Amino acid sequence: MEEVQSIFEKLCLPHLDAAYNFARLVVERDQDAEDVVQEAYVRALKGFEKFHGNDARAWLLGIVRNAAYGRLQKHVRKSDLLPFEATIDAETVGDPLPDSYHEERVQQLDEALKRLPVELREILFLREIEDWSYRKLASTLKVSSETVVSRLSRARQCLQQELARAGRKELKHEL
Amino acid sequence: MNCEEAGRLLDAYLDRELEWSSRLELQEHLSLCPSCWSLAQERQEFRTLFRATTSTYKAPSELRKKILVAVRREKTKQAFALFRQPWVYAAGVFILCLSLVLNILFPDSGKEISRQAVLCHSRSISPEHLVDVNSANPLVVKSWLAARLDFSPPVVASPASAYALLGGRVDVIQNRTVATIVYKSDKDLITLFCWPPKREQLPQREYVINGYHVHVWSNAECNYILISKFRGPETDGFTDSFRDQLQSGAYF
Repeated sequence: MEEVQSIFEKLCLPHLDAAYNFARLVVERDQDAEDVVQEAYVRALKGFEKFHGNDARAWLLGIVRNAAYGRLQKHVRKSDLLPFEATIDAETVGDPLPDSYHEERVQQLDEALKRLPVELREILFLREIEDWSYRKLASTLKVSSETVVSRLSRARQCLQQELARAGRKELKHEL
Repeated sequence: MNCEEAGRLLDAYLDRELEWSSRLELQEHLSLCPSCWSLAQERQEFRTLFRATTSTYKAPSELRKKILVAVRREKTKQAFALFRQPWVYAAGVFILCLSLVLNILFPDSGKEISRQAVLCHSRSISPEHLVDVNSANPLVVKSWLAARLDFSPPVVASPASAYALLGGRVDVIQNRTVATIVYKSDKDLITLFCWPPKREQLPQREYVINGYHVHVWSNAECNYILISKFRGPETDGFTDSFRDQLQSGAYF
């Protein structure tokens, strides 16, 4: 058991940031995301002996997704969700934001994302950030590859529309 | 390929998911159609922008700690989960009962008889009644014993140089008449009990009983119980050499 746990930690802990980001995207609130990730890791440990693949990150994100959806269904009504805020306690990864324009774009994108239904948010995250193939998306989201194509297309379209709407509002505001 | 078809395949093309033949067709169309080309550019830019501007966060360090604690707690729970299974206790009780039954049905006969042999050995030491036939000659000892027993015990002259044959006597242990052969060294006294196994051949065992070292074994001719006060290279050498000589037939 000692050995199993050590392998588990080595394989799964490096993906904690991805798990956290994905959980935040689905459940939106930081505290909920933390609870979801913690629950997902415990579930993953329990089922670790059944994991025989070589993509621990995808496997873990699949478990995070289940835990996050479980939480959405059990504890939180969608109307109760707080906005998906860019300014949270957690540290932002990568280079510091270089200028106010970029910062504004980040905020706009977050705002636009939060207005998308959860299934569109998650597919965008998994495709664009995690670079998942259509096949992996289909198997994890348990949908056909045709649905993956159409859902992705819809997600991108919706996001573009939301960004355009935000841009028009901003222009009006400036005028 | 027309523009409508190209528009439908564009996302899969940019996602590198389009099959080889369609990809070539689409590439050809894009190189010929400026409006589809600019649509492709626009979508590609959007993807780049999305990747560049999506906020990613580092998981709080507290969360990492919490997960480690939760994962290790889960490990402990899993380890103890075994003890919450009723069948573990049932198995424990079953094994205990089985060992008791086996002990009753098949007692360690070697140990009980060894205990009696040790008593016999210690009784012989205290009143200095070590032997009835006092001779270092194995032939004399053997013939004396053979005259008093219904079997002829093997008598080894001197299995180890440090020990000399002192003599023999006849004892009764648990209703068995046994040949007792005594060897002596400067500091130790070894008593060997032997008798024909009949139907009871003792398994090889070693015991420490009342501070005496007891070595039990048997062969086709006899059961043997060898008792010494000390345990060390000399007594081990004696035992090994004794057994070798029995096996090779180097005895009287």
